[in-house]
Amino acid sequence: MKTGALIFARNNEQIDYEAMARWSAKNIERHLGIPTHIVTDDSAPATNARHFADVGAVTWHNLNRMDAYRLTPWDRTLVLDADYVVASNQLTSLLQVDQDFLAHRWAYDVTGCNNFEGLNWFGNNRMPMWWATVMMFRKSRQAELIFDSMQMIRDNWTHYRNLYKNTKTTYRNDHALGIALGIVNGHTVNHPGIPWSLASLTPEHRLTQLDKDCYRVDFVNTQNKSRWIELRQDFHAMGKQQLGAIVANPC
Amino acid sequence: MPILAERGYLIPAIDTDTVDYLSCAVQLARSIRQWHPDANISVMTVKRCSDPVFDHVIPLPYGDLGGYANDWQVFHASLYRQTIKLEADMICAGPIDHWWTLLEKRDVVVSQGCRTFYDESAKSRFYRKIFDQNDLPDVYNAITYWRLSKTAQDFFQLVKMIFEHWDSYKKLLRFPEETPSTDVVYAMAAQIIGPEQVTLPLGLGPTIVHMKRYINPIQTDDWTKELTWENDPFRINTVAQFGLVHYHVKEWSNE
Repeated sequence: MKTGALIFARNNEQIDYEAMARWSAKNIERHLGIPTHIVTDDSAPATNARHFADVGAVTWHNLNRMDAYRLTPWDRTLVLDADYVVASNQLTSLLQVDQDFLAHRWAYDVTGCNNFEGLNWFGNNRMPMWWATVMMFRKSRQAELIFDSMQMIRDNWTHYRNLYKNTKTTYRNDHALGIALGIVNGHTVNHPGIPWSLASLTPEHRLTQLDKDCYRVDFVNTQNKSRWIELRQDFHAMGKQQLGAIVANPC
Repeated sequence: MPILAERGYLIPAIDTDTVDYLSCAVQLARSIRQWHPDANISVMTVKRCSDPVFDHVIPLPYGDLGGYANDWQVFHASLYRQTIKLEADMICAGPIDHWWTLLEKRDVVVSQGCRTFYDESAKSRFYRKIFDQNDLPDVYNAITYWRLSKTAQDFFQLVKMIFEHWDSYKKLLRFPEETPSTDVVYAMAAQIIGPEQVTLPLGLGPTIVHMKRYINPIQTDDWTKELTWENDPFRINTVAQFGLVHYHVKEWSNE
């Protein structure tokens, strides 16, 4: 079985996602021992605007995540966001598990400062959200249905936004994935997921690299005191600018 | 009452000034028959009812004592050796006959805890303050199983006593209700008999989906207007329901 990673990376005015993806590919090769394909340009003109706390409003070229199924050259694929930092071999276990599709149900703030209540759900009635940041899938009917459903949801986003009373107008892969998993799994909300939560770092904290696989996070805690921690694990760097700086000048 | 069958569902349906519980019971019985066409289903009511969905329409054995205070009569009204009593204002959204296998080993089982429409265990204690303040078991009489037994007889005798002597029993409670609710009375009876005698460990037995506002992530009292719902199969906000759903908004049963 051919196994590899897939990273979607389409640059915009502010963020060099391709550079992040190339850097991440090296980490993936080093830790997971699998090759990476980078999707840099898709013909579908799927864009909208999204606002990031650290870089402001940018053109958002990330609507085609569901094309992963069609584009992947692998039998088993690990789809990663370009801003997901692979700093360990933790994801190796997903490459051995007997499941057709896995993603994270829960994300958390590594500093403990932010409660992710609002991020792990969406819509006025708290529909469970599934994070599309890390997805493992095998070529299978199940996975194909999930990605097809995501496409249907994206193509009819206004309907689904209204259905779930989603106050956010911008389409998000994470919301679509939550809905798609529900559809494919018989309109339920309990699905097999990655058996650990997604470590996340929000943009207001300062991220620097100390060593190849060691990062420092400086933050102000809830008691307004300055603190820092070292990260020696995989994490989702939600602050694109800081990760961009690391990628530009890696250790 | 004579015993006519080994197992059956009994739905008490005593109308109040504002709620037509018999109409609710008919809808519940129809929803059970969708999944279990051959189930034994009886209704206990003071009204005349000729709806063929019920195998038997049973009058109150001791007459109408007023509202919820009639509840203990279910023990005397049942025509079954093993009975599952169901509150009328619920809908059966999936098969429930596997419950018998789980419950038949016990004399009495009152359901504990409830679920949101996302099938999560309800965490809100908004409606359960009196239970918490008095360390009462978190029982919901909406699903109550018993088999003919001394335990069941004692349990329902206690329920009767508590209803009939509420002014005395309520002195045992901190912040008691003026008018006893069936859940509080069941909880007190369970506490007296011993919760382990009349409940299963939390999370093991059947539980209702409870559609009251503060149990679910909804912003209004009337979920039927706030959320999308569909029948056949029954889904709330696209999420498939199973087991029994306590819809709380009584008018909804007519829809």
